[in-house]
Amino acid sequence: MELPIRISKDSREPIYHQIVNQFKALIAGGHLSAGTPLPSIRALSKDLEISIITTRRAYQDLEVQGFIRTLQGKGTFVADIAESLKQEVKVTSVHNILENAVETALSYDYNLSQVKEIFLNILQDKEKGDK
Amino acid sequence: MDALLSIRDLEKRIDEFHLGPLDLTIEPGTITALIGNNGSGKSTLLKMIMNLVQPGMGNIKVNNILVHSDNENWKPYVAYQPQTIIGWDPFTGEMLKDLIAPLYPNWDESLFLRMVELFEIPLNKKFSKLSQGVQQKLNLTLTLPRNAPLLILDEPTSFMDIPSKKLLIDLLVDWMEPGDRSIIIASHQIDDIKKLSDYLFVLHNGEVLGHFEKEALMENYARYWLSDSVSEESIPGVVSREEHVLISNNPKETESYFEQMNTKWTNRSSLEMEDIITLLLTKNKGQ
Repeated sequence: MELPIRISKDSREPIYHQIVNQFKALIAGGHLSAGTPLPSIRALSKDLEISIITTRRAYQDLEVQGFIRTLQGKGTFVADIAESLKQEVKVTSVHNILENAVETALSYDYNLSQVKEIFLNILQDKEKGDK
Repeated sequence: MDALLSIRDLEKRIDEFHLGPLDLTIEPGTITALIGNNGSGKSTLLKMIMNLVQPGMGNIKVNNILVHSDNENWKPYVAYQPQTIIGWDPFTGEMLKDLIAPLYPNWDESLFLRMVELFEIPLNKKFSKLSQGVQQKLNLTLTLPRNAPLLILDEPTSFMDIPSKKLLIDLLVDWMEPGDRSIIIASHQIDDIKKLSDYLFVLHNGEVLGHFEKEALMENYARYWLSDSVSEESIPGVVSREEHVLISNNPKETESYFEQMNTKWTNRSSLEMEDIITLLLTKNKGQ
């Protein structure tokens, strides 16, 4: 199974961390439901063009955090996770993306009130679009 | 788990050419790409592992058994595909299979049949009548099903068409699934390196340039676009510079130097594996 996971080798975020976060988002967003079989470490390593050392580390992290589970001899599956954990992942991922956007704006020498203005503009456009 | 292959202090001199000193350990479950320029000693190294070339110094153990001794018990642990095969020309694929399969107790007949079908190999034709690409396919089809824990492939796909190369990568990924097998693959194919390898073992004119974990090697390199030109003085880590673009093999040191000198960069990116290998294999030129 090919997963919609895309890693960026230019990112400052370590590759295993990118994989962990994208899996969490896929699971919390309901794209991967509980019990879905995941690719083996070797197969995912091939698809992402990374070593099994990196993939194994990502799977271990996900397992420790309760998002996936490995059954000896059967493979790795999406775990059944609590609704509260799903919500937490969603909030964190939105928070991180907004935070990145703010960082980008600051690096272009905008000040905070200008950032706020841009953000409010976007919200206004969305409201108009919904009507 | 014990290493499948362990090489210590290996050296070999052939006329002017000197290989080593060389140490290499292969753990179960890993794929190592053997990278080097033409004539770097890759095939010689693989032949020494197979006891086809005698080392000058050092020792090689397969599954903890010394290869260069009277004891041949290491042989069932390795399946080796050489670059060129001598002596197969008069035989058909069918005959070759009947000769080879009985030698390997773990021979996987269903994998053999699957590969014959996938690669569309005519088993009734003489080896000499097959194109070089089909010869390689047949060779692989007679090597992979041996199911020896250590698989050694010496440029296995150089003549194969693109779909077949992709097919082989998938077959090898499948073959690795049990988790206790290992592959050493000498290859110039960038896809083999990117999609298969966990480690790169790099040789240059007989000298070991390093044994790298793939992502660790990628992280060792960065390309910077500078907003201002920099002075001609040498910058720590920088291995290549063209006007505003610098390549570093030590981003940490390079960035701390930039910070010190108050040099700004507008962009930083990672390098492609091709570029890294090219830098590794050409930087020693003229030294």
